[in-house]
Parts: sequence; structure tokens; C-alpha cells
Amino acid sequence: MYTVAGAGDSDLSPAPFNRNNSYNGNNADREHNLKRQEQSMAELMSSSEFRVAMEDAFSGTMAKDASFSRAWAAGKLHKQHFVHWATNHYHYIGPFGDYLGLMYANTPDHARDAKDFLLQNMYEEELSDDRHTDLLIRFAEACGGTREHVQDRNNAMPFAKGMQGWMYYVSGRENFVVSSAALIVGLESQVPSIYRAQYPTLINKYRFSEWEAEFFDLHITSDEIHGERGYQIVLKYADTPELQQRCLHFVREAADMRFAYTKALYQTYVEPDLGPWVEEDEREPALVG
Amino acid sequence: MPRIYFKTADQYVEFAEGDEVNVLRVAIREDVDVPWRCASGNCGTDRLMVEEGAENLDPPRRRERARLGELVDEGYRLACQTYTRGDVTFSWNPDQVGLDDEPGDGDGAGSRTGWAGTG
Repeated sequence: MYTVAGAGDSDLSPAPFNRNNSYNGNNADREHNLKRQEQSMAELMSSSEFRVAMEDAFSGTMAKDASFSRAWAAGKLHKQHFVHWATNHYHYIGPFGDYLGLMYANTPDHARDAKDFLLQNMYEEELSDDRHTDLLIRFAEACGGTREHVQDRNNAMPFAKGMQGWMYYVSGRENFVVSSAALIVGLESQVPSIYRAQYPTLINKYRFSEWEAEFFDLHITSDEIHGERGYQIVLKYADTPELQQRCLHFVREAADMRFAYTKALYQTYVEPDLGPWVEEDEREPALVG
Repeated sequence: MPRIYFKTADQYVEFAEGDEVNVLRVAIREDVDVPWRCASGNCGTDRLMVEEGAENLDPPRRRERARLGELVDEGYRLACQTYTRGDVTFSWNPDQVGLDDEPGDGDGAGSRTGWAGTG
């Protein structure tokens, strides 16, 4: 099933970042390529083609491959780095209910299944069980942080505030299909791939309890379903070539935003302690191990 | 390729060798009629009996163990919480509801497994 047919659009934009988190080309080149590709694909894609195009759109810039995520999964980070992560993450995803509420208001009544999905997603974020931001703060406290520190906006990087502003913009100003592509497909559907690599490290290396790390466990599974339903909504309602292309554009942009934000976490908080990130298999022999 | 057999719906879904896939996500994507509601491990609507291939599933984590209790030992898993990396067969009661929503819980009219007359 996951070898979906119709992958003929594989000349989508190249990944702008390589595995060492450096940029592969300049923005002008990339924009030029995107425009050329979008012009050549100005026909309505089938559902399977469009799905593959969306998956390809962020496959090279997934946040799981950013330096901070890689260092986390490799067990290189210290607990104070996790506090910084939680603080920034709070200001990035803390208003997720707001974003979904704006999307809900922008979704027409005839797309009832999409409205219901957004409402359910909002409910799960805030009310169905523990509030998700409380789970995040629980983890920060287990790392030695405090609720007050996490909630203080002055402790967040400009990148985190930029993510927040971008999400308010997209959810409030774009067509609901486009904002679903950006926030649900481009961002939320990435979450399981990030946390599935990080959660075992938290439990096995850092010896956090499952209760302390519940934020990650919860999102590994719930965002699988949110992501899949996001795909279904975009596939169903992006019913013109223009909407499909705008969705692809915002999936790419969302992935770029999250990758840049995640990379900035490393540069801001980890690099002063551990130096630039180098993949284990690319380190000088004397430095490995 | 490894495959998930959703026995009650009589549907097979194959996935790429080397992948680990979430069972409920696969069911939703491929329109398999597995009952589900919250997808967060809270309601238990999507509990499935593992008939074969339990060794290919990741072990249940805290939320799933807390929700299912002794049903884990009886061979049940929550589709939303379960990943598989190989062949597996699941069955379920098509009419099952959430574990807290069953009528007559404990009085014989319903059962925690959701199977009428079993459990």
C-alpha cells in the first residue's frame, strides 16, 4: 500500500538542506525551480499522485533530521537542553487550539467532516485527557525546569515566536485546505517520526519514567491519526490544480519552517556546549566513541 | 512484503519491508472498518484481538496498559497505540464501543472484550 502508484512528479524541489544541516543552494535558485515545476504541473493530480507529491514535498526537510533532533536521539543532549526545548516548544505549539479554532472558522459548512476533525483535534489538545501543554510542562519540570520559566515568552527564541506567528498567519488567512496541508500534513504528521526516535532515548538513557515522558508517548500515536486524517481532508478538498499547488507550497514551507526552527535550537543552546553537530559516521576517528 | 490481515473485515494490507506502521493509521488510510473514536488510547473503542503475529508488535506502553488492564494478557491491543513490523492478524467485534460506554458492564449484558457471549 505504501508503494503508491503515480510518482511521476518526482522532479519536485530538491531538499534545501543536507544531512549536516547546511543549505544546498540559494533561495533564488530554489524559487526558480519551484516556479518551473509548478508551471509544469498545472493539471489536477489524481489522489494517489497528489499524496505522493505531498510526501515528497517534505521528505528532505523533516525535523527528525535536524541537528537538535539527531543529537537528542543519539543521547548527546543534557537535561538543561531539554528545558530550553520544552520552553520553545510551548510557545510554538501552546496556541495549537487557537490555530485550529481559526481553521475551524475558515472551514465552510459543507466540509462538515473537516470541521468535525478540527473540533476533535482541538478537544484532544485541551480537554479530553491531560492538557497537552501540561504534559509538556511536566517533562520540563522532570528536567529541572519550572512552569514559570516555560510559560515566560521572554525565554523563547525569535525562531519560536516566528513559528507561532507563521502558524497564526496560515491558520487565519489561508483557505482551510491549505492551512490543513501546512499545519496538519506539513507539521503535525511529522511528529511520530521525530518522537519515535527520541522517546526510547528518554526512557533508556536518561531514565525518565513513562509518566514524565508521557507528552511524547501520547503524540507518537495520536499524531499518526491526526496526520492521516489531515491527508484525507487535503486529498478530498484540494479539488483544483491551483489549490493542490498551493497546498504543496505550504507543505514545503511548513517543513522548512520546522527544520529551521529545530536547527536553531541546536545552534542556540547546544552548540555552545557541544560544538557544531557532526553525524557519528562523519566524525574524525579520534572523536568517535 | 509484510501484511496486516484485518480478519473481521477480510482485508489484507501490505507495507514495505523494514517499515514499522501504526495499525489504526493503516486501517484509516485503507478504509478498513475498524471501530475507533479518540485515537489517543483513552476510549478503548479500537481494541483488537491479536490472533497471530504478536511477536511482530511493539510492546504496549503505559497508556495502553492502563486502558486495557488484564485485556493485554488476554491478547488485546489498541489499534491506535500499536505498531507492527511484520505479519499480523487481528479480529474484533464490529459493534464494539468504548470500554467505559458498554451497556451492562459487569451484569452479563456486555463484556470488556466487546464480544457478545465471550470474555
